[in-house]
Amino acid sequence: MEQDDPLSESGIVTLETVVREPGANAPVIKVENATKAFLTPDQGAMVALQDINLDIPYGEFVTVVGPSGCGKSTLLKLIAGLTPLSGGRILYQGAEILGLNTKVGYVPQESKLFPWLNLEENVAFGLDKKRYPRQQREQQARHFIKLAGLTGFEKYYPAQLSGGMGKRASIVRALAYEPPVILMDEPFGPLDAQTRMILQDELLKIWEQKRQTIVFVTHDLVEAVALADRIVVMTHRPGRIKDVLRVGMKRPRDIFEIHRQDGFDRAYGRLWNIFRHELNIKRA
Amino acid sequence: MAEEMTQEQARIEPSSGVRAVAREELSKRRIWVPLIRVAVIGGFLGLWEAASTWWMEPFLISSPSRIVNSMIQGFQSGDLMHNTWVTFQEIAIGFPVGAICGIALGFSFGRSKNLAEIFEPIIIALNGIPRTALAPLFIVWLGIGLWSKVGVVFLLTFFLNFFNTYAGMRQMDQEYVDLARLMGAGRWKLTFRVILPAIAPYMFTGIRTSIPFSVIGAIVGEFVAATEGLGFFIRMSAGLFRTADVFVGIIVLMFMVIAMDKIAEMIERKALRWQARTDHVTIQG
Ligand SMILES: Nc1ncnc2c1ncn2[C@@H]1O[C@H](COP(=O)(O)OP(=O)(O)OP(=O)(O)O)[C@@H](O)[C@H]1O
Ligand SMILES: [Mg+2]
Repeated sequence: MEQDDPLSESGIVTLETVVREPGANAPVIKVENATKAFLTPDQGAMVALQDINLDIPYGEFVTVVGPSGCGKSTLLKLIAGLTPLSGGRILYQGAEILGLNTKVGYVPQESKLFPWLNLEENVAFGLDKKRYPRQQREQQARHFIKLAGLTGFEKYYPAQLSGGMGKRASIVRALAYEPPVILMDEPFGPLDAQTRMILQDELLKIWEQKRQTIVFVTHDLVEAVALADRIVVMTHRPGRIKDVLRVGMKRPRDIFEIHRQDGFDRAYGRLWNIFRHELNIKRA
Repeated sequence: MAEEMTQEQARIEPSSGVRAVAREELSKRRIWVPLIRVAVIGGFLGLWEAASTWWMEPFLISSPSRIVNSMIQGFQSGDLMHNTWVTFQEIAIGFPVGAICGIALGFSFGRSKNLAEIFEPIIIALNGIPRTALAPLFIVWLGIGLWSKVGVVFLLTFFLNFFNTYAGMRQMDQEYVDLARLMGAGRWKLTFRVILPAIAPYMFTGIRTSIPFSVIGAIVGEFVAATEGLGFFIRMSAGLFRTADVFVGIIVLMFMVIAMDKIAEMIERKALRWQARTDHVTIQG
């Protein structure tokens, strides 16, 4: 709470965010040898992430998969600058992230809507008064509430929404102010299969329009393949990147018929092979 | 997100039948609860009146009828009004100032680790002083009039608000602050749209627990040395064995506390509308 935000205040990163750069090959996020250790309850050190190297170019949809506890959430928190690195560094548009990275949107694993604000106020929270005049703010909030299928619930407080509704609201809260990079931590985790597909479809549609850079953590292999340009596969503790797979499927994709699309089987097969390997090691 | 999934939109309006049943249950309770309450109070007052008439000396325990008489007289002569006004003033200055200072300090302690580390032991030590014992000192410092009582009220209000607000700050979920800052919230927005609402339940606990203590502060101050005020009135009446007047003073104080608490409760209800309210945890049925 105390730490300042050197990125926005020293002006290293300009306020006008660039979604699609001309030199689109340059990474928007560059993770270099990032290591993160936590203090264990008995005062020891537990390495959650070790030597992570990852380049994420502009407009890419990256999914991150890995076993529970391998450090996926931690990786997102590091990119957002929510917690300091133990080693290595992370660059945003070439500048090292030293404090909070306000250029990224963040969808936490629990929805974390502000309980004291109603749905409308929650969704509009990130809409800066300077960038969005009042009318536009309202319009934008309405639009995204509709996307989430929550029209009619504008005045509801989070405690009055179901878990899934809250989750949807939390996703559109991050989408609404259109940050150039969005980090999503298992956003569809607790939803039923049907809602999940609809939301995946909707997310892809939004993304195809806006081409924001998305880093999407999931433990669902089908979801990882269906959404991604690239899949980052992580190993069990200490978390390392085991492999990065490129998904060669065409866009736009049809989420509802994803199994029948060209390239799905191949990508899924490769991903599954890596996972099966992990399982074998554990069994031995 | 698509139109098909807006099942929730078809909000189920309870049928009039369902609502009627619900309302009937509610109204049944609404009749019984106050009825029993009135019976309990009436029984107690009747017993009191009987006791003072037949079994005990009226100057020891007075009686409801005597108290009502004294009260009417007191209001008519303007005496009671005046003393009530004096005490009210002491609280009306000391309480809000104490509450605001306590909340502000609790907030700053929560925001600044350094501040908290330096001053926390000092504050805890100060809190160890029985605060009403300081009342005579306040008389020495601030005189026999209004301000010494305001000082005692302030002191009693301040610490309760400070500790509650600080407790709220310490349990505040860091993730809310982080999220707000990621979404570009500046200092102002962070304070008023995130932190204060998040700790509001604690702030209100502080405010509401400190209400009776603020009244205690005023009365203790007046007990020690005063020429007017309800505390002075009670002490003087007791000295003259005017027991009924003592009770009159106590009753006025009681209503003062109740009124303040009701107002605080109303504001709290409004401010904490977002909380899913549980009036009673239901364990059975
Ligand atoms: N604040 C913290 N303090 C100490 N250890 C932590 C903290 N946060 C995470 N860890 C540890 O770091 C490891 C990785 O946690 P993380 O939350 O990143 O896992 P994850 O991959 O997101 O798991 P899941 O899929 O279950 O959400 C875990 O072993 C966890 O115990
Ligand atoms: Mg996680």
